[in-house]
Amino acid sequence: MDGHTHSTSDRRELQMARSMCWHCQSEVSGEYFCDRCVKVQPVSKELDYFTCFGIPRRLSIDQQQLETKFYELSRAFHPDFYQNKSGAEQTISLGNSAMLNTAYRTLRDPIQRAEYLLDLEAGAVKEIRTTPPADLFEEILELQDTLNEVRASDRTSDAAASLRAALQSKRATLEQRQRDMEAQIQQLFGQWDALQDRGDATEQARAERTRILKEMRDILSNRTYVKNIVNDLVATIA
Amino acid sequence: MAYSDKVVDHFNNPRNMGSFKKDEDGVGTGMVGAPECGDVMKLQIKVQNDTIVDAKFKTFGCGSAIASSSLATEWLKGKTIEEAQKIKNTDIVQELNLPPVKIHCSVLAEDAIKAALADYQKKADSK
Repeated sequence: MDGHTHSTSDRRELQMARSMCWHCQSEVSGEYFCDRCVKVQPVSKELDYFTCFGIPRRLSIDQQQLETKFYELSRAFHPDFYQNKSGAEQTISLGNSAMLNTAYRTLRDPIQRAEYLLDLEAGAVKEIRTTPPADLFEEILELQDTLNEVRASDRTSDAAASLRAALQSKRATLEQRQRDMEAQIQQLFGQWDALQDRGDATEQARAERTRILKEMRDILSNRTYVKNIVNDLVATIA
Repeated sequence: MAYSDKVVDHFNNPRNMGSFKKDEDGVGTGMVGAPECGDVMKLQIKVQNDTIVDAKFKTFGCGSAIASSSLATEWLKGKTIEEAQKIKNTDIVQELNLPPVKIHCSVLAEDAIKAALADYQKKADSK
């Protein structure tokens, strides 16, 4: 664990060392402020959200730590504190605040966090080609037909009432499935984090990483499909 | 953002909605989805003597996804397998005037065509 944290911070220092203060041109080694002239520095676009908050690239994160860091940085970047500063500093303060808010929203939500991590680790998410789950698709399209029937039917008729009852139980099944998938994702979170903590770069570890990412991609996609049809179902029988 | 008249027309009067039996002779089925938005598209072709004689689709998704697949089935009918391979998502974008945020719907339709053709080919080869 120690070795891993170390290598992350090394990399971070390297990244920072290469940047120069926009104001006094000295090398910036501090986190977000120049050591020499104390001017705020724009957060690099290349900086990922995990590094931005100074937390390891894990999926189970300490919400408390994330929040504390968010408040700390929010105060540091807040536009209110830059009203009497130069235009350049005001612009940086705005940009950093916006980026910070997006980063916080993304990392706070477990699903968004996983999607973001997939983006980071796999480049474009699309590169991991998922196999379309044919059974699930058939089920969704069939259900969609039933929903169309309900929409077209006379709401007060007996037929519509029994259709709605059937859909209610279908809804329960689908929502349960969604919860199961979320539990599976949580499990993968654990596997990913364990792998990250070990930090080995063996062939086996790489294969394991790919497997976890691909499984996560699949489940996240399927979850979106199920979530969409559930939303549609709920709206129809409401 | 407003949908173009053509999208609205396909959405209100979808052409060739429905499905064939998957194991029917000469039927190719393409099933694709867009994980980003959760859209699901099923497109089927019926082939006789290398020509697509009929096509059907079922789509669960936004108006543009429905219009794209509806248009695709219209275009597929009467085409040979080889001609069908040449249908590009950009043709669909142009015909339906899809805005940039909806281009992925046309990509999905092209993927569905390709998948249906591949499925047909696979079934034909295994005979």
